[in-house]
Amino acid sequence: MTATTTTPADERRAQPPSRVREWLGSGALRDRAVLLLALIIVLIVAMSILDAVGLTSGRFNSDYLASTLIAYVPLALLALAELFVITSGRGGIDLSVGSMVSLTGVVFAMLYQQAGLPLPVSIVLAVLFGALLGAVNGFLTAYLGYPALITTLATFYAYRSIALVVSEQRPISGPEISEFYNAAKSVELPVIGASLPLVPLGVFTFLIPVAIVAWFVLNRTTYGRKLYAIGTNDIAAQWAGIDTRRTRMMAYVTAGAIAGLVGVYTVAQFASARPDAGTSGSGMALPAITIAVLGGVAITGGIGRLSGILLAALLIVWLNASILLVVPGNEGAQAQLLALGVVLLGASLLSNATIRRRQAGAPGRPAVPATASGAPR
Amino acid sequence: MTTVSHDAPAPQAVSMRRILPPVVTGQEIVLLAVLAVLWVLLGIFTPAFLTPGSIGPLLVQVAPIALIGVGMTFVIITAGIDVSVAGMIMVSAVVTARVLVGYDVPAIAAVALAIVIGAALGAINGVLIAYGRVHPIIITFGTSNLFLWLGLRVFDSSTVNGIPGTLEFFGRGAAGSTLGVPHSFAIAVVAVAVAWWFLRYAKAGRNLYAIGGNQHAARLAGIKVQPRLVWVYLTTGALAGLAACMIIATGTSTLDQSVGAGKELQVIAAVVIGGTSILGGRGSVVGTLLGAILVQTVVSGVTQLGWPTQLGFLFVGIFILIAVGTDLIRERARRRA
Amino acid sequence: MTDTAQRSTPAPRHDATPRLEMRDISKRYGGVRAIRHADLTVAPGTVHALVGENGAGKSTLIKILSGAEQADTGTIAIDGTAVTIGSTTDAIGLGVQTVYQEPQLFPELTVAENFFVGREITRGPMIDWRAQAPRMLELLDTVGLDRQVASQPLGALSIAQQQQVSIAKALLEQASILILDEPSAILTDAEIEVLFAVVRRLAADGVSIIYISHRLDELFRIADAVTIMRDGETVSTEPIGELSVREIAERMVGGAIAEGVHETGELGEPVLELDGLSLAGAFTDVSLTVRAGEVIGLYGLVGSGAAEVGEVVYGMRRATSGRMRIAGSDRQPSTPSEAKRRGIRMVPANRSSQGSFSFQSIAFNITVGSLGLLGKVPGWVSPASERRIADDLIRRLAVKTPTARQPLGAMSGGNAQKVVLARQIVEQPRLLVLAEPTQGVDVGAKEEIHRIIADLAARGTAVLVITTDLAEVQRIADRILVFRSGRVARALPPTATQASLLAAAAGAEDEPATQEDDR
Repeated sequence: MTATTTTPADERRAQPPSRVREWLGSGALRDRAVLLLALIIVLIVAMSILDAVGLTSGRFNSDYLASTLIAYVPLALLALAELFVITSGRGGIDLSVGSMVSLTGVVFAMLYQQAGLPLPVSIVLAVLFGALLGAVNGFLTAYLGYPALITTLATFYAYRSIALVVSEQRPISGPEISEFYNAAKSVELPVIGASLPLVPLGVFTFLIPVAIVAWFVLNRTTYGRKLYAIGTNDIAAQWAGIDTRRTRMMAYVTAGAIAGLVGVYTVAQFASARPDAGTSGSGMALPAITIAVLGGVAITGGIGRLSGILLAALLIVWLNASILLVVPGNEGAQAQLLALGVVLLGASLLSNATIRRRQAGAPGRPAVPATASGAPR
Repeated sequence: MTTVSHDAPAPQAVSMRRILPPVVTGQEIVLLAVLAVLWVLLGIFTPAFLTPGSIGPLLVQVAPIALIGVGMTFVIITAGIDVSVAGMIMVSAVVTARVLVGYDVPAIAAVALAIVIGAALGAINGVLIAYGRVHPIIITFGTSNLFLWLGLRVFDSSTVNGIPGTLEFFGRGAAGSTLGVPHSFAIAVVAVAVAWWFLRYAKAGRNLYAIGGNQHAARLAGIKVQPRLVWVYLTTGALAGLAACMIIATGTSTLDQSVGAGKELQVIAAVVIGGTSILGGRGSVVGTLLGAILVQTVVSGVTQLGWPTQLGFLFVGIFILIAVGTDLIRERARRRA
Repeated sequence: MTDTAQRSTPAPRHDATPRLEMRDISKRYGGVRAIRHADLTVAPGTVHALVGENGAGKSTLIKILSGAEQADTGTIAIDGTAVTIGSTTDAIGLGVQTVYQEPQLFPELTVAENFFVGREITRGPMIDWRAQAPRMLELLDTVGLDRQVASQPLGALSIAQQQQVSIAKALLEQASILILDEPSAILTDAEIEVLFAVVRRLAADGVSIIYISHRLDELFRIADAVTIMRDGETVSTEPIGELSVREIAERMVGGAIAEGVHETGELGEPVLELDGLSLAGAFTDVSLTVRAGEVIGLYGLVGSGAAEVGEVVYGMRRATSGRMRIAGSDRQPSTPSEAKRRGIRMVPANRSSQGSFSFQSIAFNITVGSLGLLGKVPGWVSPASERRIADDLIRRLAVKTPTARQPLGAMSGGNAQKVVLARQIVEQPRLLVLAEPTQGVDVGAKEEIHRIIADLAARGTAVLVITTDLAEVQRIADRILVFRSGRVARALPPTATQASLLAAAAGAEDEPATQEDDR
C-alpha cells in the first residue's frame, strides 16, 4: 500500500529519512490524484507480474481492463454526483442517488418503450426528471434547512418505493430497449481503434461528455467558484455576497441530473429497466460516496476534484477486476468488499493524518462552518 | 468535590422535577398521537389489524430495529453515525447460525456469542472513530465493507441450512411469547427502559449529550470523550449481535446472505423519526422505540390494506420528513423565543 | 473525574507571598511574538485588572495561565510554589478557573447539567442530583439568577444569563484564582452591579480575581491593582488608586497622542446617510453621513452596537426602523449581493469565520467576491483574468506570498487580512465598510492596511471604519463617532485626546453628547 516504493524518493534511500518525509510533506502525496495514480500503477505492475508467472485465472491485459469499464461508467458518474453534493458543505451527502437511478430508469423505459417517444427526447426527459428529483432534495436541504442525511434518507425510501410501485416490481423491457443495449456495449474506435482494445461505448457517450462538462463547471465557471466557496465556509460565502442556498440547491439538482443519466445508462447496460437497479443489495449510493471520499472529496465540504473521482473509480473497478482473476469464483466477489474497505479506511486515515500535521503548522486553522444554525450575527 | 456541602438540606422550594430534564419530549407526544391515530384508522379499515394475530408479529419485527436503535440513538446523540449495522448483523448471525448447526450449544451460549461478536465489531468502529478522527460515516462505510466480506466468507458462498430451534425463545412461535407479548419485543422494551434510565440519570449517559453538543467543550470539561465514543459504538455492535439472534429465530431454518441488508437505514430512520437530532446533542430512546413501531406499522398497514408493500416505504420517507420538519420548526421557535 | 480538582485547602495567606507570580513569560505564534517577557503578580484576595489594547497580549497571557496554551519561556508560581500548567485540567486542579468571553457551554443541556458536566457528583453510576442541587441553587443565587432556570435548556437563556451561568459554574470548584475575560462587555448596567457584588464577595473570601476589561471607568469601582499591557509586554503594575483613566489610557497606547492624523481630502457628495436607524437589540437612533472621500470612524467597545451598523448597511440584517440613503436611493439593501451591486463592500470583523476560505488559494479568496469580472462570457471564469486580478491586488496591497496559488490558511494574520480586504476592493467601491480591519495583525501590516484605506478614500471611496482599536480610529478617521450602549455617544475630531475618546466609549462622562453640527 505504501506508494513510496515506486517513487523517485526510492533512489535516495541512502539519504536520511528526513528527505523522504520532506518529499511526503511537500504535497506530492497530499494530492490524492497522485496517490491514486501510484496505486493504479502498482496494481497494474503487480498484476502483470502475476499474469506472467501464470497465477491468474484469465489473461490480464488491456482488452480485459477495457471491458471492465462498463462498470466504471455508472460508478464514476454517481461518485461525481456525490462530489457536487458533498463539496457543497454543511453535511452535504446524497443517499438517494441509487433510488434516483432506479426511478429515472423506470421513467425512461416508460417514455421510450411504452410511450414510444424518440430516444433523444426520452433521454432528455429522464435527465430532467432526475434533476427534478434532485431539486426536491436541494429545496428541502438548502431552503428548509433539513440536514442532508435526513433529506436524502427520506427520499431514498420515497423514490425507491415509487420506482417499485409504478413498475409493479417488474423490469420493463422490450424491443426498443434491447436495441438500446448497443449504447453500452464495447466498440472499436474509428480510425485509431484497430490497435486499441474495445472500449464500452458508454465511456464515450456518457462518461466523457459528462466529465468534460463537469470539469468546466467546477473549474471554469462562477458556479464552480461559488460551490467551493459555500463548501469551504458558508458564512464567509454569505459575506462575499453569494446566494448560498441557491448554490447549494443546484448541487443537488446536478446530482439528480447525473443520477438520471446513470438511470438511462443502466437501462442500456442491462437491456431492461430494473426498478431496483440502484437499490438492490447495499445500493449504489454507498459505493458512490465511498468512491468520492476515496477520491479525496472532504466530507466536510469545499474540497474535491474531478481527477480524484475518475481515478478512484478506476482504481476500484480495476482492483475488483484483478481480484476476480486472482481469487476465483464467489470468493473473489467477496474479496472486492474487503479491498474497498481497506482502501477507503487506509486512504482516509492517511489523509487525515496529513491534514492534521499541516494544520498543526499553519497559523490559521480552517474554519469549517458548523452544520448547525449559521446565520451570521 | 470538596466544596459541596453534603449536609446542607435541599431547599424545599425546588422539587427534583425543576432540575431534571423533562420526562417526555414534545416529539414523543406527537409520535404517540400519530401512532394512536394510525392504529385507530387501520383498525377501522382493516378489522384484522387490531388483533393479537396481527400486532404480535408486528412487534416481533419492531424488536431488532428498536434494539439496535437504542445503540444508534447513543451514537447519533454523540453526533456520530453507524452505517455498518447490516455488516455487524450479518457476521453475528452467520457465525451464530453455523455454531448452532454444528454444535449442540445452549441458547444462552449462542446469544452470548452473538453479542460478543457484535461488540467486537462495534469496538473496531469505535476505536477507529475515536482515535483516527475521521468522520464516523466514512469509517463505518469502510468497516461495513470489511464486515460484509467477513460475513460472506463465513457463509462460504451458500446458505446456512438446518438451523435448530435453539433460539425459539425469540421466535414467532408459541415459545417466543408470554401472555401474548413476544419475548423479543419485551427485551427491546427493557433495553429501551434501561437506556432511558442511563441517558437520564447516569453520568456516562448525560455526558453523551455534552459530547454531541460540543465535543471540544466536553473535552475541556474533563469528559473522557474517546473512551465514551468507543463505548457507544461497541454497545451498538453488541445490540446488533443480540438483534441477529432475533433475526435468526424469526426466520426459517435457513439463513441466506441477504441477512441484515438495509437494516442500517431502517434503524437510522427509526431514530430520526423518534426526534433524535442527526446533528447530535439531543435525542431519546423512547422516541426511537416509537419511531420503530411507527415505521413497522406503516409498512404492515400498507400490506394489510392490500396496497403494494413497497408503497409503505414512500410513507416512511414522508414520515421522516414530517418528524424532522416539526422538530426543525420547534427548534427555530425556541431559538427565537 | 471527581478527583482531578482536589487540592489541598490553601493555607492562610501571608501578604508577602503573592497568590500568582508569572515571570518573564514569552510566546510566539509562528513568526509573530504574541507576548515577550511579561510579568504578572497578583496578591491574594484582590481584584487585579489586566488592561491593554486589542492585540496587546492579554488573552495570550490568560491562555497560558488557564492552560489553553503553553509559554515558550518563563515561570509560573502559585502561592510561592513553582507550577507547570500543561493543560486546562492542570489549571483547574491548581484552582485556576476561567470564565471566557464565549463560554464553553452546552446549549442542549439544562442549566443544572451545565454546572456539573464532566465533574458530576455521582452515586454509583448515577448522577446524584440531590447532592448537586443545594450548591447549584446557592450559586444561582450568588450570581443573581432565578432558581427557575435550573431545569431550562441553557440555549433558552439570554447571552447575559448564560454568562452568569458560566461564572457560577467557575465558582463550583475550589477557585483560588478566577479569571474573568471581559465579563461586562455584554452585560447591562443592572447586571454589571450584580457581577460586581459577586466579584467583591469572592475577593473578600480570599479568591484572587484577574479582571480583563476595556471599560476603564469600571475598573476604578472594582479593581485593587492594574497591570497594563502594550505590544506583548507588561508596561506597569500599580495599585489602581495611583492612576487615573487618562494615565491608564496613555500607558495602554504608549503615551502617543496621535501618530500622524489622516489628512482629509476633498469631500464629495454624501454616499451613505443614516437617519434615526435602529436595530432592535443592537443600536438605536443612529444618524450619520459619510461623503465620498471621507473616512468615518465608529469607535466603541465590544458590544457597543457599532458592529451591527455595518451589518445593516451591507444587507446582512434589516434595520427595524429608520432611514438609510445610499447614493441618493432610499432602498435598503436586503442582501449582501444587492449591497454589492450598489457599490457597497464590507470587510467583516471576524476574519477566520466570516472572511476566510482557508484551504482555497489566495487567488480564489481575492476573486470570489467579484466573480462577474472573471470572464467575458457571464458565468465563465478565465484563469488568465483571475490571475491578472489576483496578481494586481497582491502587488497593490503588498501581500507577501510566493504565489497566488498558496492556500490562505497558511498565511500570517496580516497577509490574510490584506487578502480579505483585497476581495472587497477588486473594483473600487463607492462605500467601503471595514469592521476591525486590523485585528490580530502585526504592526507592519497594520500600517500598510491603513495606507490602503487612506488611498481608497483619496480616490473617492466613502469609508466607514468600525473598530474597537483606539489608535486606529484616531489615525485613519476624518471624524470619529463614539458608540456606547447602542447609541452615538459623541462625535469627535481625530485630534481629540485618546483619553477623551476612551472616556466617551467607556462611559466615564455621562453628560449628554455634545454632538457636532455636521452630522
